[in-house]
Amino acid sequence: MADGSMPLREVRRLAWRAITAHRLRSVLTVLGVVVGIGSVIAFATFGASVQAEVVSQFQGTGASEIYVTPGGEDGGPPGEDFTRPAFTTHDVGELRDIEGVQAVVPRGIVPTSSVAFGGQTLARSRMTATTEAAFSETVLVSGRAFRAGADEIVVNEAAATLFERNLTVGSTVTVAFGDRTQNVTVVGIVSGTRGSVTPTFAGGTPRFYLPADPFYRTVVESPTLGVDQRAYPQVTVVATAGETESVKRAVEASLQADSDAAQLLPPDTEIGVRSRSDIVEGVQSVIDRITRFVTGVAVLSLIVGAFGIANIMLVSVTQRTREIGVMKAVGATNREVMALFLAESVTLSGAGALAGIPVGLGVGYAATRYAEVGFTIAVGWIGIAVGIGLVIGVVAGLYPAWRAARVDPIDALRYE
Amino acid sequence: METVPPQTAQVALDDVTKEYDLGGTVRALDGVDLTLEPDSYTAVMGPSGSGKSTLLNLVGALDTPTSGGVFVAGEEVSALSERDRARLRGTEVGFIFQTFNLMPRLTAVENTALPLVFAGWSPDRRRDRAADLLSRVGLGDRLDHQPNQLSGGQRQRVAIARALAADPSLVLADEPTGNVDTDTGADIMRLLDDLQADGNTVLLVTHERRIATHADRIVHLRDGQIERIEEP
Repeated sequence: MADGSMPLREVRRLAWRAITAHRLRSVLTVLGVVVGIGSVIAFATFGASVQAEVVSQFQGTGASEIYVTPGGEDGGPPGEDFTRPAFTTHDVGELRDIEGVQAVVPRGIVPTSSVAFGGQTLARSRMTATTEAAFSETVLVSGRAFRAGADEIVVNEAAATLFERNLTVGSTVTVAFGDRTQNVTVVGIVSGTRGSVTPTFAGGTPRFYLPADPFYRTVVESPTLGVDQRAYPQVTVVATAGETESVKRAVEASLQADSDAAQLLPPDTEIGVRSRSDIVEGVQSVIDRITRFVTGVAVLSLIVGAFGIANIMLVSVTQRTREIGVMKAVGATNREVMALFLAESVTLSGAGALAGIPVGLGVGYAATRYAEVGFTIAVGWIGIAVGIGLVIGVVAGLYPAWRAARVDPIDALRYE
Repeated sequence: METVPPQTAQVALDDVTKEYDLGGTVRALDGVDLTLEPDSYTAVMGPSGSGKSTLLNLVGALDTPTSGGVFVAGEEVSALSERDRARLRGTEVGFIFQTFNLMPRLTAVENTALPLVFAGWSPDRRRDRAADLLSRVGLGDRLDHQPNQLSGGQRQRVAIARALAADPSLVLADEPTGNVDTDTGADIMRLLDDLQADGNTVLLVTHERRIATHADRIVHLRDGQIERIEEP
């Protein structure tokens, strides 16, 4: 007996004939897969784009900044001690003495009730207290930094346009602190501050900066010196370029040893010392997790596509029972029949995967335009999506193909 | 009847019984002994339910007997794997059905060449072989027509060409003229007569005596048993 067998090329050719025989049906089935693969790629692309954008925003400036806050372990969420004013003026002075430190910027909150300018009064619950070290030449748009002890204020660009009449250098605004009001002079307009964790894209939020002296009134008794001192919940240390890591270690050592903060905070509270790159890593991992979750949801729509293929393949097996019988009568083995139907379902899902790539990238691109972030292609996810697409073809086709292989030719040929 | 041992006969049935379980046990064939010698032309006649189709399915290796032995081209069908039975059908047996059973979306050439696909022939060789066979059955000008573009008689001639594609030694025809008009039926029968002349063993199942008389022998089946064998 001649022992021929059907080459793969013939399997593909016959499968393709079967698919093109029902064009509309095949196209609709493929569309189900296109939607699935497309959403996976669209979400992954958008996630990767947002991540790249956010990371670049964070990295933009302040590579040499080190953020010091009470509580919050490495990368973990800050606890309730996060806003506790623990860093005294004494601590700030100690930090400034560390070698390689350019500036130390403490930040605190001044409770306010409103701010008035040009006859217009706006509710305002808080302003930021800091020192002039917060304003470097690069962030100043016009004017200068405030001076310690003066009745001066610095505002960001968003705050400058808050009133009907724009604030300019020299404007006088009236700030209400509870039932007490005070006139202060705008001396500078800034695009941001040194030592703010907030990335530049959050620059749209109006901010007002007051000199800690005299406006910041949160004081504690310094355990080291035994006198009342201003105490801040957050301090930013600006290191000399290239020395961030060594300064970060020195800051940690200084704060853990015998700082006021270490003595003021509950014993089990850690002092968080994070460089900009620590924060970037944290943000990156958060966005990464969100992307993975959302993309995982999109994978569910791929499963819907898989059911579509399984459904249409079962219909196809039923409709072609007689043809299967003929093929078996003229020498097709069960394996060959199975291969034909598997090839058909893998072709459908493979076509869906291929068409889904440009669709997903297109939707992802549109989403990045809409969200106004740069476009980044998630290459890994494209590979994963195509892989899943082909696996789906095999899985969805397996049962129908097995059914086809089991068709009894005697019954099938009698089938009318 | 047992004059030819199984190994040298084209087909040999040795005390073959076939039962189906359809709620109760139905005995479709009951102890049938039959030998088809090479180059013979045999017709099987009988009323419906007499076991004609079962006999054809067994000889064509589409089915295996409940007991007894079926030998086709020297192979005992029951002893073969599913795969080898498929190969046996593909290379040793050519089927001609009452309802033609052509693949609706394949052309005449592709339908004719279908057994050769599973036998592993190259596309060029397949096409040459199929075109040659179609010319022999008078369809040389219909090579690329699909079944729905062909008349009933033309379809049956495509089916005959397909049955001959792998050059099988055995051709099985199940009511080959059942779905065509009388004149076309006569053409079909002339083609089957030619097959025997070309050295094929032919087994023909029919309920029409006029058709059966084309054969050298007529086997009459009744209730799953051979009633008599007639040599007209």
